[in-house]
Amino acid sequence: MKRFSQLAIPYIVWAVMMLVLPMALIAMYSFTEQGNSIISFAFTLDHYVKFFTDPDFLLILWRSLLIAVKTTVICLLLGYPLAYFIANSSEKMQNLLVLCITIPTWINALVRTYAWIGLLSEGGLLQQILSFFGLGGKELLYTEGAVLLGMVYNFLPFMILQINTSLCKMDHSLLQASADLGAKPAQTFLRVTFPLSLPGVINGITLVFLPAVSSFFIPKLLGGGQYFLVGNLIENQFITVGEWNFGSAISMIMAIIMMLMMMAVRKIENHNRGGKEE
Amino acid sequence: MKKSKNTLGKVLLVLMIIFFYLPILYMIIFSFNEGKSLTNFSGFSLRWYEHMLESRDMMEALYTTFSIALIATFVSTVVGTITAIGLSKSKKIVRDTMAQVNNLPMMNPEIVTAIGFMLLFITFKVEKGYMTMLLAHIAFCIPYVILSVMPKVRSLDPNLADAALDLGATPMQTLIKVIVPQITPGIVSGALIAFTMSIDDFIISYFVTGSGVKNLSIIVYTMSKRINPSINAVSTLVVVIITVALVIINVVPMFMAKREKKEEIGKKKMVVPAIAGVCVLAVVCLVFGMKKEASQAPYAGQTLYVYMPGEYIGENVVPDFEELTGAKVVMENFDSNEQMYIKVANGESYDLLIPSDYMIQRLMEEKYLQKIDTSKLFNYEDLDDAVKGAAFDPNDEYSVSYFWGTVGIVYDKTVVDIKDLEEQGYGIFLNEKYKGNIYLYDSERDSFMMALKNLGYSMNTESEDELQDAYEWLVQCVETMEPEIVTDEIIDNMAQGRKALGLCYSGDATYIMYENENMGFYMPEEGTNLWFDSMVIPANAENPELAYEFIDFVSSYDYAYDNSSYVGYTSPNAEVAMELAGEGGDYEGINAYVPRIDFENDEVFVYNEDTRKIIANLWSKVKIAASNAN
Repeated sequence: MKRFSQLAIPYIVWAVMMLVLPMALIAMYSFTEQGNSIISFAFTLDHYVKFFTDPDFLLILWRSLLIAVKTTVICLLLGYPLAYFIANSSEKMQNLLVLCITIPTWINALVRTYAWIGLLSEGGLLQQILSFFGLGGKELLYTEGAVLLGMVYNFLPFMILQINTSLCKMDHSLLQASADLGAKPAQTFLRVTFPLSLPGVINGITLVFLPAVSSFFIPKLLGGGQYFLVGNLIENQFITVGEWNFGSAISMIMAIIMMLMMMAVRKIENHNRGGKEE
Repeated sequence: MKKSKNTLGKVLLVLMIIFFYLPILYMIIFSFNEGKSLTNFSGFSLRWYEHMLESRDMMEALYTTFSIALIATFVSTVVGTITAIGLSKSKKIVRDTMAQVNNLPMMNPEIVTAIGFMLLFITFKVEKGYMTMLLAHIAFCIPYVILSVMPKVRSLDPNLADAALDLGATPMQTLIKVIVPQITPGIVSGALIAFTMSIDDFIISYFVTGSGVKNLSIIVYTMSKRINPSINAVSTLVVVIITVALVIINVVPMFMAKREKKEEIGKKKMVVPAIAGVCVLAVVCLVFGMKKEASQAPYAGQTLYVYMPGEYIGENVVPDFEELTGAKVVMENFDSNEQMYIKVANGESYDLLIPSDYMIQRLMEEKYLQKIDTSKLFNYEDLDDAVKGAAFDPNDEYSVSYFWGTVGIVYDKTVVDIKDLEEQGYGIFLNEKYKGNIYLYDSERDSFMMALKNLGYSMNTESEDELQDAYEWLVQCVETMEPEIVTDEIIDNMAQGRKALGLCYSGDATYIMYENENMGFYMPEEGTNLWFDSMVIPANAENPELAYEFIDFVSSYDYAYDNSSYVGYTSPNAEVAMELAGEGGDYEGINAYVPRIDFENDEVFVYNEDTRKIIANLWSKVKIAASNAN
């Protein structure tokens, strides 16, 4: 039986090469003065100092986190009820609806985002609909609203699918039990259904928040060049400015913030679960 | 009570479906639009599909996208499954460490993972292209497969495997006959996740690709700046392929289940995605399998790698060149000279580049270019004297002109008072009368040029104080004027008259004025940037002879004409420029087409590394200020 453990060895080597080493390289670049220098490694904290002492950079980071939080909250508020209704429909319907949600995620994200440009642009369908209701004249494309919309559109399916999975896995006899014991539907939902679906909610939050915070093509396509988030800043450092060391430092900062956030979320989740079991 | 809840649910679900499918439907409809507009449907036509089929870029991107997704899914499913089985039998510490490692690509922002891969490939001097993209996709897919297979493996009864071994099965047999069938659902869902991740990916592919290899996302990203309904056509094709595949996956099992309700449904489940995968591949190959036979032409079988700005070449140039020479042209496009420089400086090999003046100077100084013997160029004499002997390459040793022009202000004659322009020059971009009605161009050099000129400085200033002044000028502009900072989007938007003012290259202005007669082009008295985009051959070019052929080819009257009339930029071929600007020419009466020469305030950009860095950083900060002002 033990001999099967050897099956993992090739992958361990691969993972060190392809997953650990890249992170190590980013870390190294971020602490190096100039250029791509394994040979001429000169330790410095300058890039981090540069980032944290400039209010503009901090503001951009803050705004990126904020829009990611907004996206996540909207996705959760829309996604939970939708997932709930899907989970409560007949099995055939459920499969069909899940398929309906999956198809858009298989169509490329760029394509999905690009599709919104025509809808949002001036004289486009949405503006016409809005002006029909007397809300016309407002610019839709290249606004924060457009960016938010693009993000929700792109990431909502992940939220729905995650929550739906955990709702479907739930043992339905528990609901029955709760009702039999005299709980009102709202009570059952709050005390039984929601806590049990929490793992799905947490996974959903992760799957929405992570890409939202670092996205750079959604702001670029729907927000225009004047809409600049951390993702754009990093892209800019690597693709046009050419300051890879500074770009690596920003990447490290992002990675660390994300890691801390995820750890916090897991902690909360574990805590909740622990509390229930006791 | 129950009923009302149901209706609410139904309404919500219907709204959700509309939300998810409206853009896709809209895109499909507009892929059949006769006109170019994304908002007005002017009639049914298949021209964008023809366009797509003719565009080798798009067809190759389609092939790249699907072939990488299928290979990456296959490899990562196999490797991931084997590893999950192996890990489940490993020591706890190994298992936990690997779980953390696998979390890296899942818990990191995608852009960080992407940059990690990029740095890895560059550090180890792996040539970026199809292989690097495939490796990166496999690398980020495997963790998802492991994650989805692992729980199934761990819930297996270990006695089963032991029993099989005791009964004389080899480990291999045990694996295939006992373990795998029991974890099939995990494998299938892992494969599906891997496929979704790979086919949906943009960020990682964007950072690790090279040598002109593009997937669909990269194509859309680079083409999306100008309205290009072919994107809709190619997207529609993707929708069709994906839907067909999904329907096969979901419908076939139903039939199968009906037919033989008995055993081994698990096994069938794995067969079906495989069938679907093969179908997709077949469709793609069919679409892609229109490769031309190699001809007997002089350069048959050779490839020319060109790296140039997007939408910058006539429609017939490449196909005709390929037909004439038998060579294949691989086109890669850049957004800015800086982007191009970074790739070239990192050792990527091209045969021909088309950068601008100051960048040519930089490439020359840093020895990235090889000399061009102009006497070998048959059509060189036809080029205008105005484009020869420019300061960045005074003896024309390294570059041959491709397009040239100036930068100026495109304005809507019906909205903008010409007096304002004459009195204020670039200062009009600070005039609050036009607040919310202007476009800035997302180019650090040209934006600083505008600010510096308006402040009365030279655009080649090395004074940090003057640059700081210009920075403040631009910050004032973005904070008070609500500009939109765009790149090539400006072309279609100004042509449709969406804003009153925009900073614009003369060639784009030509196109805009050609499309919309209300538009004018004004070159401020403060002076402007007289620029030259020229063809150069990198020192590490693999096929300089073919590059020579290409240079000569596009300098000839016919193709210089095709280029200039299609793109709108001023041709260096004197005869072509006269023809197009003259009586009956495409651009008759359009002042933007004829660059202003010998004007004392006009300058050509000079490269200076220190100033470049300062400007690049300040421009990021201008954009940040713009973003924060929102």
